[in-house]
Amino acid sequence: MGRYLIRRLIQAIPVLIGATFLIYWLAFKLPGDPIQALAGEKKADPLVAAMLREKYHLDESFLAQYWHYITNLAQGNFGETLTGRSVWDKITEAFPYTVNLALLAFAIEAVVGVLAGIMAALRRGRFLDQLVLLSTLLVISVPVFVTGFVLQLSLGVKLKTDFGFDFFPVSFNEADGIRAYLLPALVLASTSLAYVARLTRTSLMETMRADYVRTATAKGLPRSRVVGRHALRNALIPIVTFLGADLGSLMGGAVITEKIFNIHGIGGLLAESVYRKEGTVIVGVVSLLIIVYLVANLAVDMLYAVLDPRIRYA
Amino acid sequence: MRGATSAKWVAGAVVVAMAATACGTGKDDSGSSAGGSITVVLGEPQHGLVGQNTAESEGAEVLNALFTGLVQYDNKTNETQLAVAESIDTTDSQTWTIKLKDGYTFHNGDKVDAQSFVRAWNWGANQDNAAEGLPFFAKIEGSDELAPGKDKKPTATELKGLKVVDEKTFTVKLKAPFSQFKTMLGYNAFYPLPKAFDADPKKFGEAPIGNGAFQMDGVWEHNKQIKVKRYDKYPAEGRAKLQGVTFKIYDNLDTAYNDLRADTLQIVDKLPVSAMASVSQEFGDRYIYKPESGVGYIGLPLKTNPEAFGKVEIRKAISMAIDRDAITKTIFNGTRKPADDFINPLIPGYRKGALGEVGTYNPTKAKELYTQAGGIPGNKIELGYNADGGHKEWIEAVANQLKANLGIEVTAKPFTKFGDMLTELGDQKYKGAFRMAWSMDYPAAENYLRPIFSKVAIDNGSNYGAYVNEEFETLLDQADKTADPAEALKLYQQADDVIIKDLPYIPVFTYMSSSAYSKSVKNVEIDAQGRMDLAKVERN
Repeated sequence: MGRYLIRRLIQAIPVLIGATFLIYWLAFKLPGDPIQALAGEKKADPLVAAMLREKYHLDESFLAQYWHYITNLAQGNFGETLTGRSVWDKITEAFPYTVNLALLAFAIEAVVGVLAGIMAALRRGRFLDQLVLLSTLLVISVPVFVTGFVLQLSLGVKLKTDFGFDFFPVSFNEADGIRAYLLPALVLASTSLAYVARLTRTSLMETMRADYVRTATAKGLPRSRVVGRHALRNALIPIVTFLGADLGSLMGGAVITEKIFNIHGIGGLLAESVYRKEGTVIVGVVSLLIIVYLVANLAVDMLYAVLDPRIRYA
Repeated sequence: MRGATSAKWVAGAVVVAMAATACGTGKDDSGSSAGGSITVVLGEPQHGLVGQNTAESEGAEVLNALFTGLVQYDNKTNETQLAVAESIDTTDSQTWTIKLKDGYTFHNGDKVDAQSFVRAWNWGANQDNAAEGLPFFAKIEGSDELAPGKDKKPTATELKGLKVVDEKTFTVKLKAPFSQFKTMLGYNAFYPLPKAFDADPKKFGEAPIGNGAFQMDGVWEHNKQIKVKRYDKYPAEGRAKLQGVTFKIYDNLDTAYNDLRADTLQIVDKLPVSAMASVSQEFGDRYIYKPESGVGYIGLPLKTNPEAFGKVEIRKAISMAIDRDAITKTIFNGTRKPADDFINPLIPGYRKGALGEVGTYNPTKAKELYTQAGGIPGNKIELGYNADGGHKEWIEAVANQLKANLGIEVTAKPFTKFGDMLTELGDQKYKGAFRMAWSMDYPAAENYLRPIFSKVAIDNGSNYGAYVNEEFETLLDQADKTADPAEALKLYQQADDVIIKDLPYIPVFTYMSSSAYSKSVKNVEIDAQGRMDLAKVERN
């Protein structure tokens, strides 16, 4: 197990280096002139633009630019944005918000999703099952920005102006603590939550039909033990796989939710940097997300062994 | 309908103004006793908060609260008024003597002296600092030594043209006479800087020490907020009423608007498009709708495509085939007004209806002109626009109008970003017509002419059509040399007449700014650049 872990971690290093090169190349190939973009709708002053290009090596070849980046990175320097801000500062400012939001959303999606799935599976065809199926279908078919704006307007604005109930902040404000994350996390979790519920339902229903479950029931075990220890543990494997991959996308793909609730997280930072063609920021953020994905995947693989003792690593 | 709303607003403004003066005479020292704090909208500024390095609206908004320049502009008339300057005099429009008022201090207690302006301008003019405001110092004598060009080193660190006479006086010598210099001085590149700036300009930009009505309250919390508080040693007449203002940083105007509705945000000076339909009902008198300094044009590549756009009759025909009323009303919901001069209506020197016939929708005459002039080869043009700024609808409307009225085959061509289109125009790769816009740096008629249509603007400005007219150049030069402001303005208007005759670009609309504020504040005024005049705002 330990050796397996170390091997996986060592494998991650070339993946990471290859990815930075690839991403840097893609960022380099993005169309547009980032210096002109700084000047907005006016023409960038030729002299100022030339000085900035020189300062940020934009007038050099791709390989030269990548070399500057990678040598800086080797010294722990993530570089500067074209407006003179430290990329590391930008990432560390945005990261905590994203982690908090993603973890809360992840918790909501895992707990509520799995519970709803279990209840639906155990009451197949009955009212509760139909309710879960119908409501998840609704959530999946409505786009996130609609859910987001509707909840913001109804719970944030209307509840306060019409009823004086000021619990859900309209937009993110750090001073509100966890309250500030509630609505956005719910919105962010909603789609995945629906998938998790459906996946749990199907997976559990299938395992409930398996021979070993029938055996367990025949042995006279209580139903809670049959479901909890025997069926669920096996049924959870596809769900854990889904959740592991989803953690990564919750971190990097929360652009829309972040925008609606004005959370200045990693997703928004990445989208903005792509728009502005800020190569150094893009590579920094993406590398970080790759690490998150790698760690989450590793954790998932480790969990398999816990859930199903037949799986061994060497 | 539109006339009615703006009339209502004017009436409202008069009432507010009267209330404000009544307040002023009622309690003399209300500055220190009044208070309260508010939160207003902001987008993350691009650079550190240094006036010389700020050329975008968000940074300018904060700087406007933290700094006071030599002159400022009246919120309603846009006339230039003295602020920190006691007097700005010249006899030949080339050498200017600037005397400063007593009583202005930086937030760290230092006096605002002549040296603080000279320091700031020298820094901005030096190419090693690559400051966005650098081109504004090009007119001052000695600027070439500080900005000799790429791959060369500056040979001086101080502008030869700036001379400190005494603590409160300095003189500025320009390379050539420029009558609008005084008007230009309100732009944020000309703000002063305290001695403390020299130690660490980068750190300074995170928590600038200014001389304005508000001072920093802590440092800039990036992507979150910038807090400022009242500076109590500011000269009494301009002192802020509020105790503090938090600029909360948004990157989505819809969210800010929802916060405004819930009164967690008190002033929003840029409304989202989605709000335009209902905002006047929802906010009533608290909705401010007034002209803004921008002008939108259809640009024409005169030099790279003379076959299509070289004849003035063709340009006139295009202009007269555009139904400006329909575009501003139906597509922009009244957030734009039909253009009737190259100069924006806000600016002293604007003449209503100056475009005359060419600015009036007349499809019959347009078609006549077009046919007489022999049309465009191939009867086909492209109309370029940037797809990221909500321009698709009006550009397509123009394309359809040209199709219907002139029978030209017009293709609307999207570019990813405005900059991409500019680059292709600059490289002469793109030969179609294009959307173009200009918004002023300072409220002078000159600022709507030289930076867009002069020879120097081909390389250093927004003259993407490479339009050249010697008569226009001569008139501008004459106007620059004229010391008498009224006389100078007349000459600028004559220059304006030249481009009205030539139509190098076709003005289509001018912009309107729309802002709204919540019930808990009053005395909200928005200036011509669309910035909030925060020192005047009070809490209810």
